[in-house]
Amino acid sequence: MANKFHAIEFKDVSLAFDDNVVLDRVSFAVRYGESKVVMGGSGTGKSTLLRLALGLIRPDSGSILIDGEDITDYTEEQMMEIRQKIGMVFQEGALFDSLSVYDNVAYRLREQKARESEIEPVVMRMLRFVDLEDAVDKMPNELSGGMRRRVGIARALVGSPKIILYDEPTAGLDPITARTICELALKLRDLEEVSSIFVTHRLQDIEVLASEYVVRDDFGNLIFEHEGDRMCLINTKFIMLKDGNVIFSGSDKEMRDSRNPYIRKFIDNER
Amino acid sequence: MNLIIRGIITIQEITLLIWRVARGVFRPPFYLREMIRQMDILGFGSLTIILLTGFFTGAVLALNTGNTLQKFGVQSVSGQLVATSLIRELGPVLTCLMLAGRVGSGIAAELGSMLVSEQIDAMRALGADPIKKLVTPRIVALVTMAPALTVICDMIGSLGGLIATIFFQGQASSVYISSSKEAVTYNEILGGLIKPTVFGFIIAIIGCYKGLSTTGGTVGVGRSTTQSVVVASILIIAVDFLLSKLIISLLLAP
Repeated sequence: MANKFHAIEFKDVSLAFDDNVVLDRVSFAVRYGESKVVMGGSGTGKSTLLRLALGLIRPDSGSILIDGEDITDYTEEQMMEIRQKIGMVFQEGALFDSLSVYDNVAYRLREQKARESEIEPVVMRMLRFVDLEDAVDKMPNELSGGMRRRVGIARALVGSPKIILYDEPTAGLDPITARTICELALKLRDLEEVSSIFVTHRLQDIEVLASEYVVRDDFGNLIFEHEGDRMCLINTKFIMLKDGNVIFSGSDKEMRDSRNPYIRKFIDNER
Repeated sequence: MNLIIRGIITIQEITLLIWRVARGVFRPPFYLREMIRQMDILGFGSLTIILLTGFFTGAVLALNTGNTLQKFGVQSVSGQLVATSLIRELGPVLTCLMLAGRVGSGIAAELGSMLVSEQIDAMRALGADPIKKLVTPRIVALVTMAPALTVICDMIGSLGGLIATIFFQGQASSVYISSSKEAVTYNEILGGLIKPTVFGFIIAIIGCYKGLSTTGGTVGVGRSTTQSVVVASILIIAVDFLLSKLIISLLLAP
């Protein structure tokens, strides 16, 4: 029986590379429409979590469910079907160097043997979403770091996946560009009802993701609003990883009030 | 001991890679366009160095053996000597060594940097199989283009030999050409084509394997590139010995 409550679910997932334990019985779940922000220092297995969810690597034990399906023992062919439901935004964008921005975004559709007449409107719509229509003919090496991430997001959105995995999309970016990336994530969360795992270690991202939301007004304009004191966003939750274990899981407020020394150090250092 | 275990693991991984290529090669999607593109880049792109290698090898062969042949008064067979040496041995081996240097290293570097910049993962995430999309086209390209380039190398080498004999040995071109013709039998040519086919496969599979098993970022890419050339070159020379024995006993036995 498929459990259809969670977009992504990890049950007791463990993974080790040789003697190095990366994840030790990690369990968590992402509800439909929820953003799960995963934090933790470098090398705590944050990116590994995403690679597991995408089926790029397999866990040593435990099980992973995507959209209610247990993918733990799926073959590469079966995973191809699952991956159509998932968009992945890689750390540095991971754009194909030899292909133009247009071809990068069109990649998934080309693989599905879509006609060129169907591909073009989709590609242009995605590039418009990330505000990069002008860069359509550029090659990846002509783009700035922020633009590469945005093209990466546009590429991940092709096929309208309902699950998106962000692997440190804001790392190494200036605050303004990082905010643009976070706003894209908000738009997807609040307007497209996308479920996501957002890996980051920047407190500024957490601030934006936890306390802002986006609505469309009567004229179709997007308005970013702050949650204020009277309401609290419930569609964004946080987990903190340390040494392959989940040491915290809950809302941003609970995290800020946490007494755990590691979390305190994490929060206070960033300030 | 550790070295032996690592060696066994490497052989296992290469075998697995070959198996995955073989399993997928007759199943769609085929990426025909990519295969042709690779043939152009890897094959046609190597034409210049193969032409130069072939020409000078043939010429120097004629030059070096000319004096010895003259001692025995059999200068007239220099055409045969050059053609046989080229078709049996030097054409395939030199062509493929050049390919290992130019193309094998390129494959390892390209796939290695794609791996460390997560492009291979991105490819899988977007629903493409990197084995089919990257490895198979390169293998097909090299398995077909290595014999083709070898034939060109053999031809241009014979021409180099001809020119060297005419200018430095003062031999009539007709003597050289008719003596060359005697060397070129069907079995010789067949034997001379089997070798580069196998070598082409070796270059491609080693380049792809080294590229796809890159670890350790940019430094790792450099290491993979170097290793791919070293391993492929040594394998070519070692396998050449075994193949020569096989071809001589099967095709060329009197």
